[in-house]
Amino acid sequence: MTRPFRWSESRIAMGGAAGLLLLGLIRPADAARTLLRDWNTFLFFIGMMGLSAMAETAGLFDWLAVQAARLAHRSAARLFLNVFLLGTAISMIFSNDATALILTPVVYVLVTRLRLPVLPYMFACTFIADSASFLLPISNPINIIVMSRYPLTLFTFLRLFLLPSLLVIAINIGIFYLLYRAQLKGSFNLEQLPAAEMAVQHRGYFRYTLWVLALVAPSYVIAAAFQFPLSVVAMAGALLLLMGALFWKRTTLAEAGKGISWPIFGFIAGMFVVVRAIEDTGLTIKLGNLLLHLSGGTSFGAVMVGTFGAALGTNLINNVPMSVVMNSSLASVQHAAPAVRNGFVAATIFGCDLGPNLTTVGSLATILWLLILRQRDVEVSGLDYFKVGVLVTPVMLFVGAMAIWLLL
Amino acid sequence: MRVLGCLDGTNAEQIGYAAQMFTTAEPLTIGLLTVIDVGPRKDIDRMRERFWRPPMQHQPLTGQMLAAETAAAHETLNAGLAYAKGAETLLRQGRPELEIVNTASEWAADVILIGARAEYGEPPHVGPRSVGHVARFVLDHAPCPVLLLRPLAREQFPINR
Repeated sequence: MTRPFRWSESRIAMGGAAGLLLLGLIRPADAARTLLRDWNTFLFFIGMMGLSAMAETAGLFDWLAVQAARLAHRSAARLFLNVFLLGTAISMIFSNDATALILTPVVYVLVTRLRLPVLPYMFACTFIADSASFLLPISNPINIIVMSRYPLTLFTFLRLFLLPSLLVIAINIGIFYLLYRAQLKGSFNLEQLPAAEMAVQHRGYFRYTLWVLALVAPSYVIAAAFQFPLSVVAMAGALLLLMGALFWKRTTLAEAGKGISWPIFGFIAGMFVVVRAIEDTGLTIKLGNLLLHLSGGTSFGAVMVGTFGAALGTNLINNVPMSVVMNSSLASVQHAAPAVRNGFVAATIFGCDLGPNLTTVGSLATILWLLILRQRDVEVSGLDYFKVGVLVTPVMLFVGAMAIWLLL
Repeated sequence: MRVLGCLDGTNAEQIGYAAQMFTTAEPLTIGLLTVIDVGPRKDIDRMRERFWRPPMQHQPLTGQMLAAETAAAHETLNAGLAYAKGAETLLRQGRPELEIVNTASEWAADVILIGARAEYGEPPHVGPRSVGHVARFVLDHAPCPVLLLRPLAREQFPINR
């Protein structure tokens, strides 16, 4: 949470895991078993990041952004809607990671070229990344982490999340239109846009990328329907794109490796081991029992307590650690009624996916720091995200949670 | 007299006309300032941190972002020059509010011309929050007099007493 001396989270998590092993608080065999059990999560992260990085190399995101602008027919408001729709599609297929990290700067470049106000469009990208991240199991790695422990069939996932997703996306778009309606009244000059073809650096590789993605998207759905590990599909897609990129000399292995955030694996591995050791102390079971107690043993309570508890936790310790903690805690609700159990699992996915929108550009600790800066009279744009997040996220969480409860 | 006009990409005409009010001052030097706001880039870096990624500076998109920002800034300055011929142009990068007051001090400005807020096609807004955060900061921290420029909004008057 505080990251002393600016140490990276992965170093802290790995250090914690190493300390537990050295002190004998967790047996090496248990630690190894924990990590091997979650192979699907690790592989999915590699595949997901690889797919996004290779698609970026092909210029796909730039091309899509230019198309979104062309289809907006010079209207700033229509471009705003198109950015939301594009973000939704990218989150759905590539995961929220791609929308937040790749689409946001692409859209920033686009609207800067078009001389439009930057912030509304950046907000649209960063918020829709999470708001659209429970449309499919692959739309957020959190879904994979939770479902590795508590599997849901594709039918159950869609039954529980499709309608809430659409509601949350609609609320997100609606509130943002209200907030930024004044800034979106203008129009833009299409001549300031580069031709869509300019985004495509190599036509052959670009077409190949489209074909591979056209193969990967339905494969995800089929794999999810048959509960086949989604990481295998993501990895296969990433490898196919990598081979194409190497064939057309669009990248090198070293370059492609840079597209993967390797420290995240140290962080997740460390977190898995630390939480496994905490499990042995009974602390996570106590947290699970507390959640169950607070829910009053009802499905409504389970969804509400799970959603808002997970959402709050994601803003304190980031969503990946929170989902790991919740995974462990939910072991103690497995003896509850099926509706309560499913309510907690769905709420964990929903709260951990959408919760980060409260403090989009960081944790609560970051926001506190930004507030301190603000008191020194320095205008901090990160705080703008917080103000918008505080306004829109509780509404989305409540409406989405209500819909999930009704669909349980 | 040294007059510093702050261009925000939407107010070149307004700044140009306001600068003409000082033409009787001799000698008159007009400076046109525009600032490339680094706020969005910092936000993107914070976002990357949330996803355990290094800052943007080494990413392929960084070059495109810089090019787009620089092109927009030069276009803004050129638009200003169309209304204030022969003006000195100043391009800065950072937080706009900080850069404006610091530049005003370094450039020894006698007066700062600044718009109340950037206008993107919406009708002029009169009332609370009609002065943006940049103008507010400049009013509070400027090292010299500030002339706050508001769009004409006579049709919105009278205000109920």
